[in-house]
Amino acid sequence: MKTTRREFLGSVAAGAALVAAPSIVRAQGADAIRIGALCPVTGVGGPYGSGMQKMIVAAAEAVNAAGGAGGRKIEIVAEDTQTNPQAAVLAAKKLIEVNKVQAILGTWSSGVSLAVIPLTNDAGIPLMHCSGAPALSVPPANAKGLGFRFQATNDRFGRAFAEICEKEGFKRPATMAFNNASGIGNTEGFTKAWKAKGGEVVESVVYEPNQASYRSELMKVLAANPDVIVTGSYIADTTIILREWFQTGQPVKWIIPGWAANPQLVEALGAEVTEGIISVDSVSNEGAEAFKAYDAAYQKAMGQAGTNNVYAAMTWDMMTVLALAIEAAGTSDMAAVVAKLREVGNPDGKQVSSFAEGKEALKAGKINYEGASSVLDFDQHGDVTPDFGAYFIEGGKLNRRYVVKI
Amino acid sequence: MDAYLAAIAIIALIYMLLSLGLTLQYGLTGLINFGHVGFFAIGAYTSALLSLQGLPLALTIPAAAVTAGLAAWPIGLISLRLRDDYFAIVTLGFSETVRLVITSEKWLTNGVQGIPGIPRLFETISVGIGAQLAVMGLILAVTLAAIYAMRRIVASPFGRVIEAIRDNEEALQALGKDPAGFKIQVLILGSALAGIAGAFYAHYITYIVPDQFIPLVTFYVWMAIIIGGVGRVSGAIVGTGLLMLFLEGSRFLRDIVPGVSEVEMASLRIGVVGLLLVLFTIYRPQGLMGDFTKR
Repeated sequence: MKTTRREFLGSVAAGAALVAAPSIVRAQGADAIRIGALCPVTGVGGPYGSGMQKMIVAAAEAVNAAGGAGGRKIEIVAEDTQTNPQAAVLAAKKLIEVNKVQAILGTWSSGVSLAVIPLTNDAGIPLMHCSGAPALSVPPANAKGLGFRFQATNDRFGRAFAEICEKEGFKRPATMAFNNASGIGNTEGFTKAWKAKGGEVVESVVYEPNQASYRSELMKVLAANPDVIVTGSYIADTTIILREWFQTGQPVKWIIPGWAANPQLVEALGAEVTEGIISVDSVSNEGAEAFKAYDAAYQKAMGQAGTNNVYAAMTWDMMTVLALAIEAAGTSDMAAVVAKLREVGNPDGKQVSSFAEGKEALKAGKINYEGASSVLDFDQHGDVTPDFGAYFIEGGKLNRRYVVKI
Repeated sequence: MDAYLAAIAIIALIYMLLSLGLTLQYGLTGLINFGHVGFFAIGAYTSALLSLQGLPLALTIPAAAVTAGLAAWPIGLISLRLRDDYFAIVTLGFSETVRLVITSEKWLTNGVQGIPGIPRLFETISVGIGAQLAVMGLILAVTLAAIYAMRRIVASPFGRVIEAIRDNEEALQALGKDPAGFKIQVLILGSALAGIAGAFYAHYITYIVPDQFIPLVTFYVWMAIIIGGVGRVSGAIVGTGLLMLFLEGSRFLRDIVPGVSEVEMASLRIGVVGLLLVLFTIYRPQGLMGDFTKR
């Protein structure tokens, strides 16, 4: 070895200084309002995270093109949560402490949001997320009312499942849940809503992630002879479960959340296996003008239709509604801005569908932003209630038959 | 910036406690422990649950060390029968078992929903840089105490026996020493350190969920001690520092290097860590601070 330990350590220290130094001298963009985009670019959320992040940037560009919010430009600082709470905490610390962001947008999995929200609470800035866990609505997590949820809670998903189950005339549902907060939240929400309707659940199984086979769990469920199986699952495990179910030949229907029963699932299993599966997802507010703007931006950034990523529509709305609230408050002081969020999102105002339109209308009076992801009316917990679509897989295509309102 | 640096320092110190424990177990005694994160998790949950019952943290953190140490006892008994790779598999299985038990026993651990609202250290100091520095100071003090203890161990007769276990267990037995008791003690000590690290982690992040205690944590610690130098206390310190610098430093790299997207950066980061490990094993198998007296 020619390099001695001392030389090596010296070069490491020099490298560290090189990395650290620019962050000190880097200009702090005097007038821009800094917003943190903290999306799951890698990890389990990877298929969605990249699009989510790009839509925050795109929405910010639209805001800047309209002259900025409250007279100031928006600057996005992006970080990756790695869909991992610890990585997310450090990333959030960096956004808050180093980049001095005024809000954090776009956390996805519940574990990440629950780990990040104490930090945003301490900093007194809002956290806008797409997580399902009910714990995020109430104290201690949302003690300061700074958490805003753009996704339906798992509980609401469960209620939508129960509505569809009733509408389709199923009598003997069983549930299968992936063992995490979201999976269990879905099936427990379903069970609660279904029992409230006077029904009974014939079997419920919780399974562990990352198995090569789910045959024993599946057999347990099928042994109860259900007419429909409601799942709280993800795509990898759903693929295995459905393949193994098809091999058994036992006729049963499936109700599966939209993030698991999607075109990739059909591609993996073929049209025959997936025929008749009911995929349930919160529907983006597709008729809305805001959705068209989002769709165009998404196509431009990702080369796909905007309907492929419901979470990206949510992050688009996050940035837009936040900018509108800043505009309405006339300041980037977050206490004032948060107070305005409901005012610009909820009814009793002129309906607007973009930042530019809202900015104009604000001069005249109150506005009500109708978002791309939902009509975006926050309740007292900062949660929204989107509509749900029941998509039937027919001949390898997902066809939406009807929309469920809860 | 200060608070962010303090945050990195706190996480680095927590990992340093973990690496010190592993250095004791693997570096000095040669026990391949792939289940380090299991003891980390036990410590985190013990302290979190006890503190939510209202016990002061001054009691719950030692309790975390004791529980994690006790959990290592049965593993220690197994280690008497199994060597090397077999022991590695058992410990890996142990840490996964711990995670599954935490996931399943909802009445105690709230399962996959996790435990939110764990009390912070120094809650009386209002949030901000002051509280961060206080936490950092405490963990630093504990880490320094651990480093001091480790150095004493290395220099002591006990240290020479455990190094002899690593180098040639049969020869040691021939000399009339019984390796069994030493191995168990080493496992308990190292795991207790991991338990303390877990307790600090829980009280710092304030939210724990089984997903945080995956084997990746164990392997981060392994990376740290391999890069730093196996079997050297200084190796554990330098290795952990370097690993954290690298994992966190790459965030800033992206801010200044244009044209690298977030997705590419994430892959790049993992790729470079892998490359480093390969290069280290080829060119510097003893690690940065390695022991060059042997060969």
